[in-house]
Amino acid sequence: MKALPTIAEFVHFRRRVMSEKKILHKKPTLVISAGTCGQASGSNDIMRIIKRYIIERNLREKISLKITGCQGFCEMNPFIVVEPGNHLYPKLHIKDVPKVIESAIGDFVDEELIYKDPKDDQIYHSKEDIPFFKMQTRTVLGSNQKIDPIRILDYVEQGGYAALEKVLLKNDTEWIISEVKKSGLRGRGGAGFPTGKKWELARAAESRDGQKYIVCNADEGDPGAYMDRGLLEGNPHSIIEGMLIAGIAIGASKGFIYVRSEYPLAIKHALIAIRQARELGLLGIHILGSNYDFNVNIIRGAGAFVCGEETALIKSIEGFRGEPRQRPPYPIEKGIYGSPTCINNVETLANISVIINQGAKEYIKVGIPGNTGTKIFSLVGKIRNTGLVEVPLGIKISQVVYDIGGGAPGNAKIKAVQTGGPSGGCIPARLFDLSIDYESLSEAGSIMGSGGMIIMDENTCMVDVAKYFMNFLKEESCGKCFTCRKGTQRMYEILDDISAGRGTMEHLTLLEELAHTVKETSMCGLGQSAANPVLSTLRYFRNEYERHIKEKKCDAHVCTELAGVPCQSACPVGTEAWRYVAHIARGEYEEAYSVIREANPFPSVCARVCDHPCEDKCRAGTSGGSPISIRALKRFITDRMDPSTYKPLKERKKGKISQIAIVGAGPAGLTSAHYLSLKGYKISIFESECEPGGMLYCAIPPYRLPRETIKNEIGSILDENINIKLNTTLGIDFSIDDLFNQGFKAVLLAMGSHKSKPLHIENEDVQGVYPSIEYLKAFNLRNQNFAKGKVGVIGGGNSAIDAARTAIRQKEVDSVTIYYRRTRNEMPAFEEEIEAAAQEGIKIQTLISPKRIITEKGKLSGLEFLQNELGELDESGRKKPVPVAGSEHIINLDTLIVAISEDSGKDCMSAAQSANVLTTDYNTIRADKLTLATNRPGVFAAGDVVTGPNTVIEAIAAGKKAAIMIDRYIRGEDMLKETLPYKPTIYIEPVEMDHEEVQEARRIETPRAPSEWRCRNFAEVEVSLSLEEARKEAQRCLRCDLEFTKPAVQEIEVKDVEKVEVAEESTHG
Amino acid sequence: MVNIILNGLPVKVEEGTTILEAARFYGSPIPTLCHMEGLSPYGACRLCVVEIGEGENTRLVTSCTHPVEENLKVRTASQKVLKARKMIIELLLASCPQSKTIQDIASAHNVRQQRFRQEYEDCILCGLCVRMCEEQMMAKAIGFQGRGEHRRIGTPFNVKSEECRLCGACMYICPACQLRCTYTEPEKAICGGCANLSPPCIEKEEFHDMMCYMDPCVACEIQKK
Repeated sequence: MKALPTIAEFVHFRRRVMSEKKILHKKPTLVISAGTCGQASGSNDIMRIIKRYIIERNLREKISLKITGCQGFCEMNPFIVVEPGNHLYPKLHIKDVPKVIESAIGDFVDEELIYKDPKDDQIYHSKEDIPFFKMQTRTVLGSNQKIDPIRILDYVEQGGYAALEKVLLKNDTEWIISEVKKSGLRGRGGAGFPTGKKWELARAAESRDGQKYIVCNADEGDPGAYMDRGLLEGNPHSIIEGMLIAGIAIGASKGFIYVRSEYPLAIKHALIAIRQARELGLLGIHILGSNYDFNVNIIRGAGAFVCGEETALIKSIEGFRGEPRQRPPYPIEKGIYGSPTCINNVETLANISVIINQGAKEYIKVGIPGNTGTKIFSLVGKIRNTGLVEVPLGIKISQVVYDIGGGAPGNAKIKAVQTGGPSGGCIPARLFDLSIDYESLSEAGSIMGSGGMIIMDENTCMVDVAKYFMNFLKEESCGKCFTCRKGTQRMYEILDDISAGRGTMEHLTLLEELAHTVKETSMCGLGQSAANPVLSTLRYFRNEYERHIKEKKCDAHVCTELAGVPCQSACPVGTEAWRYVAHIARGEYEEAYSVIREANPFPSVCARVCDHPCEDKCRAGTSGGSPISIRALKRFITDRMDPSTYKPLKERKKGKISQIAIVGAGPAGLTSAHYLSLKGYKISIFESECEPGGMLYCAIPPYRLPRETIKNEIGSILDENINIKLNTTLGIDFSIDDLFNQGFKAVLLAMGSHKSKPLHIENEDVQGVYPSIEYLKAFNLRNQNFAKGKVGVIGGGNSAIDAARTAIRQKEVDSVTIYYRRTRNEMPAFEEEIEAAAQEGIKIQTLISPKRIITEKGKLSGLEFLQNELGELDESGRKKPVPVAGSEHIINLDTLIVAISEDSGKDCMSAAQSANVLTTDYNTIRADKLTLATNRPGVFAAGDVVTGPNTVIEAIAAGKKAAIMIDRYIRGEDMLKETLPYKPTIYIEPVEMDHEEVQEARRIETPRAPSEWRCRNFAEVEVSLSLEEARKEAQRCLRCDLEFTKPAVQEIEVKDVEKVEVAEESTHG
Repeated sequence: MVNIILNGLPVKVEEGTTILEAARFYGSPIPTLCHMEGLSPYGACRLCVVEIGEGENTRLVTSCTHPVEENLKVRTASQKVLKARKMIIELLLASCPQSKTIQDIASAHNVRQQRFRQEYEDCILCGLCVRMCEEQMMAKAIGFQGRGEHRRIGTPFNVKSEECRLCGACMYICPACQLRCTYTEPEKAICGGCANLSPPCIEKEEFHDMMCYMDPCVACEIQKK
């Protein structure tokens, strides 16, 4: 290309290129995103295939190919956008490429390959309609799709260098600065210093040798941030144009792009762009015949994080150690070689041409006052749509995370977002209504930073996050300031202690004091912000730290020393799930059963109705795949064993046998009785219903849990030490004081929550309206059916689903609909239950609340509902349902089942209160979390009566704990003994899998009976796995336990002779 | 002359001086570790932090590197300063408990114990030796290497430097150097190496050429005989 000697010729050249664009782009174009992210996902292969296909079939006249930098939607890489029409074909395989080419030539859309929203499978034909793109304002990033970064003409075609032309024609440097000042542009590197002001100061600064410098800071080092790379790779000319204008504005004739060597593609593209610009006469001396000289050089950084700090960066450019120095003097006074130096971030410079082209007036329309324009964020972590997003400043975090990012990819809820990299902080989900601007973020204890946004969900441990960043910082601190170097090391040390269970509360105080000292006494930005990860997690997630320290628990199951194997530590009763899964893989079923039974007296029950927290925390699932079907495997084992065959060893204690009373024969009471009996106590259980089993029997319907299974399991628990009295109710037949008078040494209250909460609206007592527990009890205990005709169920929990699924199995019922006030995603019921209900034909209406019960002749005839919409976020980070005024409508119903929640009821509480046992306002008994002891000595409480309605496994765990605590109480021991985290000790040899088996391994879902057949009877819905299925599923286990155990090592002979020689030598010396 | 307010007192100081110099001139003590007259200020140990500014906008800066400015308000012993200083001393004690210099500073600030895991390092990377070697001895034989926790002092490529004249100035100036009093039992505040007649300088070959600041050294004298 020939250099253009004058501005006039450049104007002409630009006009010609832009007018030719329409002629050139008639045929369809395949645009392939091939930034570093795209190439890593295989875009180079796709490119090769396309080229070959076009050449072999001679399609050059019909189609063209364009290779661009990163277009932002990195999650969908490698993808192709077909222009015109902007059809996006995501995650392409090589074999699908020809189909895309054919569809582009034939001008149709391949429905199979086109982008579908992973959330709801909705098809989007145009890229612009996809929520990820639609909600963004892509002023800077948008042109990445149009530009092949190695072609200057592509950039000119898109209006590139128009801003330079404008600046040169105007020839008024004051005007540039005033325009940038008016635009309100603030430094996009993180600190947010007004760019216009910086330029003004740099212009006014006096230089001894007449030299001034512009530096483009592309030393992007934050973990999880890559927007600067995306810009430099995808649109290098926009950066050069920004630098040129900056150079003209402040009177600098030299520019540096300081970029890390880890960005080879960005360096390559920038080098090509500089060469092209020079050839065209846009760089060099007398740019386009004007009086301005400007040259750009690339400096490759060696990758030290601290070199992003401006004074360290200057040292690095000068060839010294990248070490910050004290400011003042600021770089705009004394920078590179002592001359004034203006350092701007890549994104800041990319915004310059936009401002000059549009004018400041237009620019400030985007964003909010004080925070104008757009900002690019790299959205990474536990988020559905990973990628680069550009949004106006002032947008809410929730909009970026949920609307653009698409929320969490799995079932785990999003807990926090980390902004600003290692110098930033974590913002919890309940603050997601926060506006994204420099001030709000720093008020919330974080910073804007260069724009990394790491999304974290429940499977992220905040102590571990702080530890991770501290590890990064202790390596990356330059080490000059003692407090920064040693402080980060010491903070890491303390965090490591906490995460390994060695932490104390004193550690926490020390950590906080140290963090403040590091923040206050360090010299540069790195040290001053190094404490942010610690301070912000301490501010919002102190409870997690305390749980690590006091209870030695890591709820995210990340800190291995505390969590052990996730499936085991997630299980409230500590079942060694990994161990029985390993046994199943080896075909050792009896061993597997005794592992399960050892920890849990209700294995067959839990194999059917447990909410399997083990699967939620399974590493096979949290690491991106699907978890092992642990519950199905448990079912497989328990179906093959008779509970009565298991004979535990009884450890009778010497001494006088004490008698213990247990009120309630539910899972908590029976478990407690079982373990107390094993310790040799005599137990009397008092049960108010006619059958033992509590909620297992009266609330869980037989299609989920057959009556036989419960009876068998309870039968195997009862022994000569346990005596059950049925139909005996606390408060009516006996009181707590009576029990102590009869000689019982301790009393365990385990009455459960058997009262449905009312809706608190009028006419709730008319015929046709039933509390769910009453409805389920009537059916399960007495085989009575209240439901008929059109049935409505209010609520979204498990008892609502149980009631609905029981109702649909009744002969007199026509239809069943569940009404829930939030959306389906927020329903607290187990996902598989909701799914099964839907399969059985139960309708689910969401965002709807009852307002009024309508009666006819004293009977229910219908219900008036209000429509809800989602409003602001509440404490749990979920959107609150807000009723829409005027949305009242009536739905006719014959039966209404109210299942909003349960508690233990007033009668239960007054019985406790009369014995001076404290209760809460929520109709539960006040018991110590750790010891389960109530305020009255000798009285303990466990299960739903303490926690409110909860899962079966939690009740069993509470019963098990109560047995330990009662034993300690009776023997006069200290109840608060420290519990150690579960860690595997037994080595089980893993089963080898061949390559094919590994490839084929997929999660096996619990098989269910066909829905047409099952919804008219009460036979069990879930079916057991086959032998082969179980073996395959068990082999899929990642065996996290092997981290802790080792095979028995064969003794290796130690060469004693050598040792002796060495020892002798050293004594001689 | 520049007007500053030092601990509430309006004082005049010469332009270009640092806060440390000004404060010392007017008799406000500020502890230092990496500062030495005759060497350029460096600001590594952070011990000399003072509070500048007023109201909500105060911040801590190292007085050894911060130049005085017109109307600058300086407080050399505010709550904030003392709190930070004590924490720095704790960190120093946790790393180099054997240094007499650090022990003296700790005792002057009433810091009796530190709460971190005890380490026994022989260098706090204050950089005095590096500056001494470069600025006073004109040798530039030693310098910093690495960053973060891997930062250390050494010669280029860790080979014996031809620039080094074995003057011993680096050892003389070191506030924490192991050659002074650690010997092999760093737990002990005073090593007693000389009394044992087997100090590390003699025992370890690599130190053969070095000169000890203790002159005459009992151990060396005996060794020579």
